[in-house]
Amino acid sequence: MPATNEPAVEISGLTKRYGPHVAVDGVDLTIRRGEVFGLLGANGAGKTTTVECAQGLRRPDGGAVRVLGHDPVRQRARLGSRVGSQLQHAELPDRMRVGEALRLFADGPLLDAAVEEWGLGELWGTPFGALSGGQRQRLFIGLALLNDPEVVFLDELTQGLDPVARRSVWSLIAAIRARSTTVVLVTHFADEAELLCDRLAVMRSGRIVAEGTPDELVDRHGPGISLSFTLPDPDVAGLRAVPGVEAVVVSGARVEVHGRRSMVAPVGAHLVARSTGDRPVPDDIRVTEPTLESALIELLDGGDTPNLVPEEVPAS
Amino acid sequence: MSFARKLIRAEWRLFLREPLAMTFVVAFPVITVLVLGGVFDKDDPAFGGATPSDYYVAAYLGVVIAAVGLVMIPVHVATYRERGVLRRFDAAGVPRWAFPFSQFVTGLVFVLIGAAAVWVTGLVSYGVPALHDPARVLAGALSGALAFISIGVLLGVLLPNARAAQGVGMLLFFPMFLLAGGGPPPGAMSSTMADISSWLPLTHVIRAIQEPWLDLGTNTDHIAVNLAVFAVATAWWMARAGVLAAPEAAVA
Repeated sequence: MPATNEPAVEISGLTKRYGPHVAVDGVDLTIRRGEVFGLLGANGAGKTTTVECAQGLRRPDGGAVRVLGHDPVRQRARLGSRVGSQLQHAELPDRMRVGEALRLFADGPLLDAAVEEWGLGELWGTPFGALSGGQRQRLFIGLALLNDPEVVFLDELTQGLDPVARRSVWSLIAAIRARSTTVVLVTHFADEAELLCDRLAVMRSGRIVAEGTPDELVDRHGPGISLSFTLPDPDVAGLRAVPGVEAVVVSGARVEVHGRRSMVAPVGAHLVARSTGDRPVPDDIRVTEPTLESALIELLDGGDTPNLVPEEVPAS
Repeated sequence: MSFARKLIRAEWRLFLREPLAMTFVVAFPVITVLVLGGVFDKDDPAFGGATPSDYYVAAYLGVVIAAVGLVMIPVHVATYRERGVLRRFDAAGVPRWAFPFSQFVTGLVFVLIGAAAVWVTGLVSYGVPALHDPARVLAGALSGALAFISIGVLLGVLLPNARAAQGVGMLLFFPMFLLAGGGPPPGAMSSTMADISSWLPLTHVIRAIQEPWLDLGTNTDHIAVNLAVFAVATAWWMARAGVLAAPEAAVA
């Protein structure tokens, strides 16, 4: 289901302290129904505390949280199985078998459907302690989605997994996207957020420092695009004059042009216009696109970051 | 089926697969009662008028209760806290009374299993003494089991992890077992040890069972002590774990 403008989770002015330490400092967030929303940031940025408040596991010191229109602490009973959770650092007893864990939280058609959907039948009699990291996360996703919730919180699902298992978990999250479920994905992996999330918020020191779609964040905070090619006698002044170009670096016959995304076509046109029989258009042009990770590094390593949250986040 | 019923079933299966629990709740009392029942002379006056084998068969129902409360439950509760299983229950909207309730139900079932094992051992070895006042024996055993299961939940809530729970549980179990009636009889102890013994919660559990069973006295005061221990321990772990209070405490 495509995301709608109807909110699934609304957080305003959320504050949470642990003694003198302010873990969450005035967070405002709106997560729409049907979207995969990422909460991204370094360890200790306040992501888990924020979603724990949204799950009713921690009582906020200030601000308001609404999940599907209800207060998750005071109106837990009304939310019930409408919310699913995969918690960070929450396991099961080693001797509990997969089938026993699933039966504990659901039975009947919902259980059968989840077992089939997440391929848990083959693990039914396996004790939790004997599962691999990827199998555990598959079970946790199955448990989180067991009662067909409308909102599901997934906290650091792929931490500690090898690359193959990570990709396997990503495909599970992509399968959740195909349902009508709103997903709140907490992660410190930028590649994961870029691949899976419709929108995301970046947290640092308990605050949200950026919010938008992955492309918007890359455009707004990424280091820019670069073109590199071999040209023995480049027209450096001409390249610098191309709209969108910010810098031209020449090293021997190798030329690197840095700038905004909009410069790509004009630089190409410039090279074509200046080409001759003796000096053809370079055939080794390489385009390096900025990634969310590079944007994140700029954001999180950028000293005192000003308020980068746009006044209005455009609909994705 | 309600979550509490499903949890009790799951907990029952987990305890059956737990070698530490089965060893201390079933094997240890059976072997020890077999050995001690045959060590002393039948007319030894140290047993206050009871025969040694009668004394120990009755006492070892109390030892079973101590094993459930000090060895089996603390490790289990601490493991659940350490591994975030209780957080998982909480996030799934499970009522907060369900887990402690499951510990009381499975704890009582294991007390019955251990007691049955001691009973059968007595039957096939030294004989089982007749129950002088069965209702009072039952009341004594039940009050003692409630007290020690609650102590077990409290230890699981207070101690930082499963290893600490196992270590502290053992440290409490063995001296208490030896001084409260599972080891030497009261008449064989020095006055200092007998004084210490009278202050131990397990002493009151064992006497609450022994006295009406062997017609050695009334057990009202021991039942009162057991219920007081149960009340204090329960209030303590409720305050610490916040089972009926704020979600914050239940997570911590």
